[in-house]
Amino acid sequence: METLLMLLRRLFGMALVVVIATFLLSCLMWLLPGDPALLLAPGTPAGALQAIRHQVGLDRGVFGYYWKWLTDMLHGDFGQYYLNGGTRSVTEVIKRTLPVSMQLIVYAQVVALTFSIPLGLLTAYKEGSRFDRWTSSVLFTLVSFPAFALALIMSLIFAVKLGWVDPIGYVKPSEDLFKHLKLMILPVASLAVGLTSSYTRLLRNDVIATLKEDYVTMAASKGISNKRVLWKHVFRPSSTTLLTSAALNMGGLIGGTIIVETIFVIPGIGYEIFYSIGARQIIAMQTLIALVSFAYVFFNTTVDLITNITDPRTRERRV
Amino acid sequence: MSPLLKLEDLNVSFATPRGDLRAVKNVNIELNQGESLGVVGESGSGKTVLSRATMGLLPSTATRTGKILYKGEDISQLPRDEVRQLWGTGMAMIFQDPMTALNPVRRIGTQLTESLTVRLGMNKKDAREKAIELMKRVRIPDPEGMLRKFPYQLSGGMRQRIMIAIAVSCSPEMLFADEPTTALDVTVQAQVLELLTELRKEFNMGMILVTHDLGVVAGHTDKIAVMYAGDVVEYAPTRQLFNNMKMPYTEALLKSIPRLETPTGTRLPVIEGRLPDPTKNEPGCSFANRCPYATDKCRTETPPLTDGGNQHFYRCWFPIGGGK
Amino acid sequence: MSDTAVAPTTESPAVAIKKVRKKRPIGFYIAASWIGLVLFLGLFGWILPTPKWDASFFDSLGVGPFSKGHILGTTQDGYDEFAGLVNGARISIFVSFIAVTVGGGIGSFIGITSAYFRGTYDKIVVTFFNILLSIPNLVLSLALLSVLAYSDENHPSSTNRRVVVLIISLIVVIIPILGRIGRGATLQWSSREFVLASKSMGTKDFMIIRKHVLPNVAPALLAIGFLAIGSVIIVEGSLAILGIGVPGGASWGSMLANGRGNLEFSPWEVYCPALCIAFTVISCNWFGDYVRTALDQREAKI
Repeated sequence: METLLMLLRRLFGMALVVVIATFLLSCLMWLLPGDPALLLAPGTPAGALQAIRHQVGLDRGVFGYYWKWLTDMLHGDFGQYYLNGGTRSVTEVIKRTLPVSMQLIVYAQVVALTFSIPLGLLTAYKEGSRFDRWTSSVLFTLVSFPAFALALIMSLIFAVKLGWVDPIGYVKPSEDLFKHLKLMILPVASLAVGLTSSYTRLLRNDVIATLKEDYVTMAASKGISNKRVLWKHVFRPSSTTLLTSAALNMGGLIGGTIIVETIFVIPGIGYEIFYSIGARQIIAMQTLIALVSFAYVFFNTTVDLITNITDPRTRERRV
Repeated sequence: MSPLLKLEDLNVSFATPRGDLRAVKNVNIELNQGESLGVVGESGSGKTVLSRATMGLLPSTATRTGKILYKGEDISQLPRDEVRQLWGTGMAMIFQDPMTALNPVRRIGTQLTESLTVRLGMNKKDAREKAIELMKRVRIPDPEGMLRKFPYQLSGGMRQRIMIAIAVSCSPEMLFADEPTTALDVTVQAQVLELLTELRKEFNMGMILVTHDLGVVAGHTDKIAVMYAGDVVEYAPTRQLFNNMKMPYTEALLKSIPRLETPTGTRLPVIEGRLPDPTKNEPGCSFANRCPYATDKCRTETPPLTDGGNQHFYRCWFPIGGGK
Repeated sequence: MSDTAVAPTTESPAVAIKKVRKKRPIGFYIAASWIGLVLFLGLFGWILPTPKWDASFFDSLGVGPFSKGHILGTTQDGYDEFAGLVNGARISIFVSFIAVTVGGGIGSFIGITSAYFRGTYDKIVVTFFNILLSIPNLVLSLALLSVLAYSDENHPSSTNRRVVVLIISLIVVIIPILGRIGRGATLQWSSREFVLASKSMGTKDFMIIRKHVLPNVAPALLAIGFLAIGSVIIVEGSLAILGIGVPGGASWGSMLANGRGNLEFSPWEVYCPALCIAFTVISCNWFGDYVRTALDQREAKI
């Protein structure tokens, strides 16, 4: 009962954040100089313009416009792109681009976690050793290495100079899996390097704290191997921050993909956001940003709830 | 027959920014199978470090010298992997605070069966049955339901009994109990101690009971070692020690225990002053600046560990009741 | 005694002692020197005998580094790379300094006051921060830029306007970051005894904030401020790559964006500004981290 109430409160807060965020975006659109309808569909004859204005709700003032957009969204109508006199459904575009971005994000996350979990455990376990100091310094340097600089430098080295991979492009996994993976290497690497460093650092800090706990000494005193102590007794209680941050990044990474998708010419949702902002497709832009911030807030809340349920310590605190 | 455990000149020091901290100095102790030794001292006296050092559970900043003879074999120079073979099955430890010594995110069942499956190679079903049996032995109600619970769902005394069950699960021959009752309510302290003594007799284990409370060790030990600032200052069979106390420090410790017969409102005597700085190595008796009987000799010359007969050793120039 | 309980590690005592007697890491000195260099180039770069940064040299288009007259070469359009970098340093310092001080100032003010006064005001502030944080940095500044610095044939927008809007959008990015830090730190400090004591003596709230809260919160803000400079430089660079950074190829990001197309012919157009951006961001992070570590030690001593 209490959990249900908390869940409802969180869901409400979540919806509120997304609603206000998108409403502010609507207001922003209203600030644009000139006729919004004309900006949305440049070169449209005056008669057709009125139709668009009505279709989008631009004739109802900022609140009416926002309300129409919101209710349409909730009914599953994500709006249209108005391009060169024609239209394109935003839903279609999302269906086409979201899977591509998700591939990119999921690969980057998997790669980052695969490297950072053992590295984090090991550096913490050997805290202060030469291995730890070197790894930690290198990771600290890489965590702040801008993704676009990394992407460009890697593409310079591996694509232009060495010619190992193609510098740009995207192939669906269903078409040619090998080529798909090969093309994904550089974009995934430029996203994953920063993630790996930040995850390793988070995990290392938490593991160092956990290693000081009595229950770790207790587990060691059972005579089980160090490896078992680390994986079974240390990793789980230390992984909360890591998992939270990994889930939060699911939303945040969509922002990160904008730049990587632009550099490597990958038809993902990040690129689409950039495109719709550039082309002032306010409806599409509002919908896409709503999606991103919803994803962010959704993952944020879900992770909170899951850690509440899986980590008995937080349960204890609540009781 | 060689004793179960024998410490010869055990020294432990920690590297700190202010220099080496000598936590345990030249300790010699002997313990037979089935026997119980109480290690008593106030916090900072080195008693916890002593028990952890014996087992080998020290942080990396510590250095240890001296011999640790376990069943006649020196284990102090063994590589860690071989020492680890002894943990759980040969020597086991019960920790001070059952709140922090049980992993909060793992179920009681997994924590209890871990040693059984990993160290003894039992299958899951057998380990489960053995775990239930162990929990019955330490008088846990509804042991089957307990398997699925998390530590936070249990009371302090219950957790401590679970920890005891974990410690004895692989039938060790040597049990270190590090302040097993300090974190518990007064009412459950007695039963936990009683349980420990019972198990010790049942399994014929050697036990080192570390505590700051002389009252705790009185009924549950065969021998007592009193520690002060890393030194063993008095070492004697329990009866002998209580009947014929030699060290002023031991006397002070005993006086600071509240008693039922003291009238309410009486101020408990406290030991004035503080432990000497463990990073400095000053001459003289380490207790001199707090001792009511101290003389100039105590402040300049370090007293040796004197054999007072009847297996009674003390480190004092002017023992209570005179020397031998 | 439980603080001595650490799981066994294979580390030798010697290493541990070294760890205990920790000095300033080498990275600190490297970071400090690089920041010093960038500051020098940005503030006094004009005294160096470099070619003009915005002049095109038609006799040497796309020459490599270390050629006569152009120490880091020129772009395919004949602009001197080194002069561009020096000018870029000036722009970067200008943009990030303004964005972080103004954004940090506003953010910290809101964060500190909200944590101090709590109540409805605090709830509104928290929601406001959450909203800003729920939209990725880059998307937020993209949206702001594309609207506020909107330009087409009928509504031309000046270079100055675009720079101002760029800075505003970066400020908006910074506000919730430092605001949250300020709020968190204030929550911790404002319940301490000396604050309560001061309150009970009837000291005015803003006086308490100035005398008791601010001095304690400031180091944390400073540490994060350095990290924020890094973020600002990254966001500016990203915006430039998307074609809406500081106009005219003036900033490091814009140089990078312009050079992207010439990756095959003159890679130095890419790696010079890319490395400048990376080194600066990394140095800011090292610096911020150093400040935070020093702060932690101070905390530990208390």
